[in-house]
Amino acid sequence: MGKINLTALRVRQTALNQFASGKTSNLPQWVDVVGDIPPAETLIRTRPSQHQLVQQRLKTITGSTKPQVVFEVQEKRRKPKKPSRTFMPVELKYEEDQLRTEFFRDHPWELARPRVLLESTGKDFEHYDWSRIEQPGKRLDGESVVQRQLWLLHNVPDISKSTAYDIARREFYRLRLREDIQRRVAAEEAAAYGAEFGPSYMDIGMKQESEQYDKWVAWARNQAQIMGQRTAALSGAPELATESTETDVVEADESDEVATQ
Amino acid sequence: MQGGEIQTNPKWNNRRPQAPTAKPDKSSSGRPQPSCQTHLRFSIPKMIVRKFCMRQSRQLLAVSRRAPISTRFQSTIPTTLGEPVVPAPPQESEPILQSEPIPRAENPLIEMMNAQSQAKTPAQQEESQRAKFHKLGTSVKTSYDPENILRNPPKPSQVTLEMLLAAGTHLGHSTSRWNPQNSRYIYGIREGVHIISLDVTAAYLRRAAKVVEEVAARGGLILFAGTRKGQKRAVVKAAELAKGYHIFERWIPGSLTNGEQILGHCETRVVNALDEELLEFKADLADRPSLKPDLVVCLNPLENVVLLHECGLNNVPTIGIVDTDADPTRVTYPIPSNDDSLRATALIAGILGRAGEAGQVRRLKMAREGQTTYKPVSATELRLDPFTGLPPGGEAQKK
Repeated sequence: MGKINLTALRVRQTALNQFASGKTSNLPQWVDVVGDIPPAETLIRTRPSQHQLVQQRLKTITGSTKPQVVFEVQEKRRKPKKPSRTFMPVELKYEEDQLRTEFFRDHPWELARPRVLLESTGKDFEHYDWSRIEQPGKRLDGESVVQRQLWLLHNVPDISKSTAYDIARREFYRLRLREDIQRRVAAEEAAAYGAEFGPSYMDIGMKQESEQYDKWVAWARNQAQIMGQRTAALSGAPELATESTETDVVEADESDEVATQ
Repeated sequence: MQGGEIQTNPKWNNRRPQAPTAKPDKSSSGRPQPSCQTHLRFSIPKMIVRKFCMRQSRQLLAVSRRAPISTRFQSTIPTTLGEPVVPAPPQESEPILQSEPIPRAENPLIEMMNAQSQAKTPAQQEESQRAKFHKLGTSVKTSYDPENILRNPPKPSQVTLEMLLAAGTHLGHSTSRWNPQNSRYIYGIREGVHIISLDVTAAYLRRAAKVVEEVAARGGLILFAGTRKGQKRAVVKAAELAKGYHIFERWIPGSLTNGEQILGHCETRVVNALDEELLEFKADLADRPSLKPDLVVCLNPLENVVLLHECGLNNVPTIGIVDTDADPTRVTYPIPSNDDSLRATALIAGILGRAGEAGQVRRLKMAREGQTTYKPVSATELRLDPFTGLPPGGEAQKK
């Protein structure tokens, strides 16, 4: 049988054989169930779907009044695929991937914003209409820009990628600014009504930092004292050690004077 | 005049017996005393006189006030002679009454005062405030409740690809950890992670649900096993729905192959087609070997290799959630799905539980009509000796 253990897949056959050979007195209840609903063909390899990057654009074609939808498929690689990779799954590619990388390369701090990853029904996309950048039930973020840009690329005739990016980005900036103003006004209003927000994160951070500095100062003072004591102990009597250094200094001064003279 | 009153106040005397007529001491009195007191007593400069006159004139303007003006500008300590200090609203409202003779019923202020005076307990006030507050804002109609999947799992017919996607069943493992036997369930690679095809998951899930339903309809014993942390409630709920059995702790190795030793003390019972216990067969169950399940549903086959191996040895069909790093040949009916997400496993367990519920309902309905989808065990068969296959006392008759 080799490495593959087919016992689980052959339960029905085994049960029938055992009954036929008289090992079991009666057939289990599930035999006809497993016969009616056979186990899947687990081990048959199929060629996985080969995903290609498809670009959709609206283009005006000379001679026709209406712009036409044009699909561009990414060119196939020149080098043929290795035969051993025939049954390997293929990377999934979408047009907006490139737009997404571009946006987040230009706005890396957008990645630091909190995001909702949870999907309640999986049908959120049904409520979205990317002819405008704001969507009901979706927070404005980098993904909004990407989807808006993609919509523009799909629906505006002869639009270039950078133009679409600029349009989507500008809408995004405007809304972000408005959000900032809203937040500021809300804070001011709340403060006017007597709200206290407590120390800011910056203040808390500075306080913790200064605490650490104070700790370090105390530790360093202690260390300096210990080291001083140690050097004194090594050079014999502490008084002598201090005296000797003093005399050394005096001597050195004298020698300097001599040298200058 | 104020000084005299203060002196006659017994309370004041008790508090400050030494110097009742001295300058007001802020620290001891607590309330700010009007500064004109002392000036009135000793000398009356012009400025003070002007102030005094202003006060007097104000008093004259409002003759009809209930409280005399003197009480207002005096020490605010309540005197025994005068009325207690009247709260602000009536004092402010009265000039309005004087200037505009509005009939009492129409005056909104009166209504307000009436409403205030109507005795309302704090609880009632809170209630009304809450009622007002809840009218404000928006109402969220569809919101995600993680408990919903446990309390009310969907039926197999309600499975949609969106539901599976939202539960995250499509997320596999890192490409380097894959088991190539799963290649037909994998849709593609995304960010270095294998993505399981949702339509394949849905198809295999429906197939497995059908098996659970049919086995339940034939009165088979179904065992739900999910031994990962957090799978407990989903497993128990599924078993409850399908009237099956559950394991949410470690599978004790040998529970199937060495059942007499491990499960020998467990209770067994004989039931009729309507699931009513038949007590008269209790004695016949003494020497019976431990029961074996007819179907095992395993939510984490990777950790339960021993269970699946024992099922193979005992020829028990199995259903398992197979992630991209698991071996699909370990189970009879694999369900390719993410087995690391509790939401995904809870969803699949719930769907299988619902399928089992449907099967049980069908079986009991047929039993009520006097039919069975399975071959029932007769009483004589049940009384046969489990080892020799002879009726009790049969060996003696043979001899």
